[in-house]
Amino acid sequence: MTTTIIWTIAIITVLGVVLAVVLYLVAKKFRVEEDPRIDEVEKVMPGANCGGCGFAGCRAFAQSCVEAMNLDNNFCPVGGNDVMKKVAAVLGLEVKEKAPMVAVVRCNGTCANRPRTNEYDGYQSCKVKAALYSGDTGCFYGCLGCGDCVAACQFGAISMDPETGLPVVDEEKCTACGACVKACPKRIIELRNKGPKNRRVFVSCVNMEKGAVARKSCKAACIGCGKCEKACPFGAIKVEHNVAYIDFEKCRLCRKCVVECPTGAIHDVNFPAPAVKPAPKPAAPAQAAAAAVKSVAPVKETEHKVEPEKKSEE
Amino acid sequence: MKTFSIGGVHPDDKKISAGSKIEVLPIPKTVYISMAQHLGGPAKAIVAPGDKVKTGQVIGEPTGFISAYVHSSVTGTVKSVGLRKDLAGIQVIHVEIETEPDEWAEGIDTSDTLVTEIPQDRQFIIDRIKNNGVVGLGGATFPTHVKLCPPPDKKAECLILNGAECEPYLTSDYRIMLEKTRQIVIGAALMKKVLGVPKAVIGIEENKPEAIKAMSAAVAELQKVSQDYSGIEVQTLKKKYPQGGEKQLIDAVMHRQVKSMGLPIDVGAVVQNVATSLAVYDAVQKNMPLISNTLTVTGDCLPADRQKNYLFRIGYPLSYIAECNGGVPAEAVKIISGGPMMGKAVSNLDAATLKGSSSILYMTQEQTARKPESNCIRCGKCAEACPMGLEPFLLNKLARNGMMEDLEANAVQDCIECGCCLYSCPANIPLLDVIRVAKGEVIRAMRARTAPKK
Amino acid sequence: MNRILVSPSPHIHAKTSTSVLMRDVVIALLPSVIVSVLYYGWAALALLAVSVVSCILVEYLITRFMFKAPGTIGDWSSSVTGVLLFLNLPPSCPWWVAIIGAIFAIGVVKMTFGGLGQNLFNPAIAARVFLLVSFPTFMTDWAAPSGFLGVDAVSGATPLGIVKEGLAQGLTLPEIYAQHDFSYLQTLFINIGGSAGEISAIAILAGFIYLLARKVIRPYITLSILATVFVFSGIFWLVNPDQYTDPLFNLLTGGVLLGAVFMATDYVTSPMSDKGGIIFGVGIGLLTILIRYFGSYPEGMSFAILIMNSVVPLINKFCKQKKYGR
Repeated sequence: MTTTIIWTIAIITVLGVVLAVVLYLVAKKFRVEEDPRIDEVEKVMPGANCGGCGFAGCRAFAQSCVEAMNLDNNFCPVGGNDVMKKVAAVLGLEVKEKAPMVAVVRCNGTCANRPRTNEYDGYQSCKVKAALYSGDTGCFYGCLGCGDCVAACQFGAISMDPETGLPVVDEEKCTACGACVKACPKRIIELRNKGPKNRRVFVSCVNMEKGAVARKSCKAACIGCGKCEKACPFGAIKVEHNVAYIDFEKCRLCRKCVVECPTGAIHDVNFPAPAVKPAPKPAAPAQAAAAAVKSVAPVKETEHKVEPEKKSEE
Repeated sequence: MKTFSIGGVHPDDKKISAGSKIEVLPIPKTVYISMAQHLGGPAKAIVAPGDKVKTGQVIGEPTGFISAYVHSSVTGTVKSVGLRKDLAGIQVIHVEIETEPDEWAEGIDTSDTLVTEIPQDRQFIIDRIKNNGVVGLGGATFPTHVKLCPPPDKKAECLILNGAECEPYLTSDYRIMLEKTRQIVIGAALMKKVLGVPKAVIGIEENKPEAIKAMSAAVAELQKVSQDYSGIEVQTLKKKYPQGGEKQLIDAVMHRQVKSMGLPIDVGAVVQNVATSLAVYDAVQKNMPLISNTLTVTGDCLPADRQKNYLFRIGYPLSYIAECNGGVPAEAVKIISGGPMMGKAVSNLDAATLKGSSSILYMTQEQTARKPESNCIRCGKCAEACPMGLEPFLLNKLARNGMMEDLEANAVQDCIECGCCLYSCPANIPLLDVIRVAKGEVIRAMRARTAPKK
Repeated sequence: MNRILVSPSPHIHAKTSTSVLMRDVVIALLPSVIVSVLYYGWAALALLAVSVVSCILVEYLITRFMFKAPGTIGDWSSSVTGVLLFLNLPPSCPWWVAIIGAIFAIGVVKMTFGGLGQNLFNPAIAARVFLLVSFPTFMTDWAAPSGFLGVDAVSGATPLGIVKEGLAQGLTLPEIYAQHDFSYLQTLFINIGGSAGEISAIAILAGFIYLLARKVIRPYITLSILATVFVFSGIFWLVNPDQYTDPLFNLLTGGVLLGAVFMATDYVTSPMSDKGGIIFGVGIGLLTILIRYFGSYPEGMSFAILIMNSVVPLINKFCKQKKYGR
């Protein structure tokens, strides 16, 4: 009995020592030398591995930052300026601040605006549907409504609104990683500046058909009439291929275009009051808006923030 | 009896319209001729609004090596040249022509006389085929003259004529094999001459005994007329879908398999549809451009007296043909252009017919509506059915997870989109829907990889 | 016409579905069920009801309250498990054993992996082994209640059990055979002693033929198991007929037929390709005979199937069907 126990202990001890030596030698031999700063940078990253920066994951991003020792081409859209400052601090570099961005759905083809002409019966994926045909409405360019963007979003920031059939971006959760932009086969989603107080003006349509055709398939289509282009005092709007586009770098949120648009294709979000017909002075609407901020109860403002797209479609 | 060696399914035959003789449709007031009637670059319209065109006159010119001429199918005045929606709602350039009574362009033989003498000048035949805009009418509409001119390092050994018509419901090939029998055989002899092959096999499925009989008789009759018809034979094939798939037909007839991403010519085969053969006859012997084809109007919800085979000219709107047939039946919820396994669902019935149009098929809700997807039970029926020997259940999983390298390793690029997997899946998983898109992505990635090396 | 449906091709579907396939399996199991109910009477009928109902109930409760998904009991798969579970139990076993078996089969083996199609092991077989290990007394008590046929079923052990015990006592096979009256004709029609489903080889074969005729299963797995059992045990038997039972005895007794026809061919837990199916079947056959001859249990079929279930993913990975042009 005792001999058995002694033998057992002895064998296990010897085995343990031998294996430990083997492990030590292997670890020594196959050790990979890595810059310790990569680990440090990775620690301050958000760790979502979403690929929004263009790298395979947070570690790949960190590696690239350390190797380049330059942050000009690297930016983490999820962490934003805060994280980039931390990365810069770790590496002792400077970083340029970037305006925060948010995903914007540029389609106004709600069930009411854009009547369905047929029923899609295949696999519920925009990619599959887009490869098959023009979609279940008259509009070739509009949202297909199968929710590839919802599936692509790792942050749960996009959901389909069953009433409109269009995706809604929750701007609190959106990190502007761009996964939805890549997932959308119709290129409807765009990353735009979040704007001061989250206020934005954008053309909610990408239909490149001629006005009459576009209008026929969707009541709220951009018909490329060019009224907004003329109304814009800052030259931020351009009509190309029958569709208007607002350059968010130039837009000053005066909202003249919003009231000019005959189809309501231009949306303004998170403004406390609806845009009004232009007053004689260009500054007037802004003042009115500023005044409205004070008068409107703060509860309502958060309401707008939570579901900004919905409000604009009303 | 011969058939292909891997997979396959046996859907119900449903050749309801097989007994209907081909009828000629009257010419509508307006036709819309698409410039994208073939695989490859769309043709460039060479007419302008106001131009007078004659029947058979060239109105579109090829824009590349793989492209084809487009001819006017009617006489009349060009109203417009512009974008119009095709059957999938995609904008394509169409030439709109207001019709007048027929006046044929010069040099076209519109008589019924059968020309059995085969021209000996190879180039003459190819030029006729090319100039008359002949494309493959089996589905892919690949320009025929390109297929008949293999690269010099590849040698064709056998011409295979596809008369399998393995898709349920379709009967247009069957009707032309009965009614234009000798023309098809002459077309085969013409293509045989161009390719310089000793052998041509006409493959017909066993469910069409009359066609087999008629074709065999015509071959025997013509072989008495001239040496040019020797080496043509009719081969009866077992009924199994997708027998008419190019790769499957080569396997069935020659017992050879085309390598992955390869072409039939790699194993010495050239496959053409019987309808293409008829078009080749018309183009070479009659100098008649490809402006008409046969189309089946059928479906279980269509009364027996409205099951038809029509001779139509390209550019007739589908809705016009449906009207001539007495309108769309009330029970139909889906209209398919082509067969039920590989045809395209029509979302825009105003779309114009193309060279390759082969049917208007009406399907009812219970026949065609997809059922809700449930869990995969790993029964392997999809893999059993796949004629390419792939594993659709695996490809589906890989595709949904975006695993491109694994998709390529598991040969998603070999998929021929025949639909056997989705057809046989008991869990109603939309296998092909997912795999088709993944295949496109993988092939694009493969092309992108090889492109810079060239 | 007011609606236009648009979908990618194909536009038709074979008239098959998961529920039709599963229902066919239940129909194929009916002959065995009928024979066992006729033979064992009310007790068997009650046990059948308990195991089927509890399997369905467990599946319903889990999908409804844990998955919060639409119920999947309509696909008949839990019914198949319920019937198979009954066929794997001794007819005299208490009803609560069947309930525990059902909870283990559906709740643990099937649903923890995600439900139908996701489980690694066959639920009914796993439950049988679980019960055999947990309640050996009930699971090896073959004292059969009397049934509707008026035959007095008094056998206390299975033929396999008798042989195992006899050999352990140092007897040779002819001596054991002399003590007990075994005849092949008997095992073919009524096989006294054993699980409820193991009574009649003819009933099981009738189910097999039905499954083949309806194209629910392919024959390769079943045939390769049976062939392996026959050949492998035949080799041993030829070497020493005193120690090793003969091939026909091995085929007809115990759960070989039931397992080979209904349990090894379960879609979910068997290989996809025919080639893989043959490897799978050969493995089951070898393991069964090894356990029967050298193991401490008289019966090895269920263990063999479970062990081979665990290598199915590996078989699937390496046994692919031939691809066109490759």
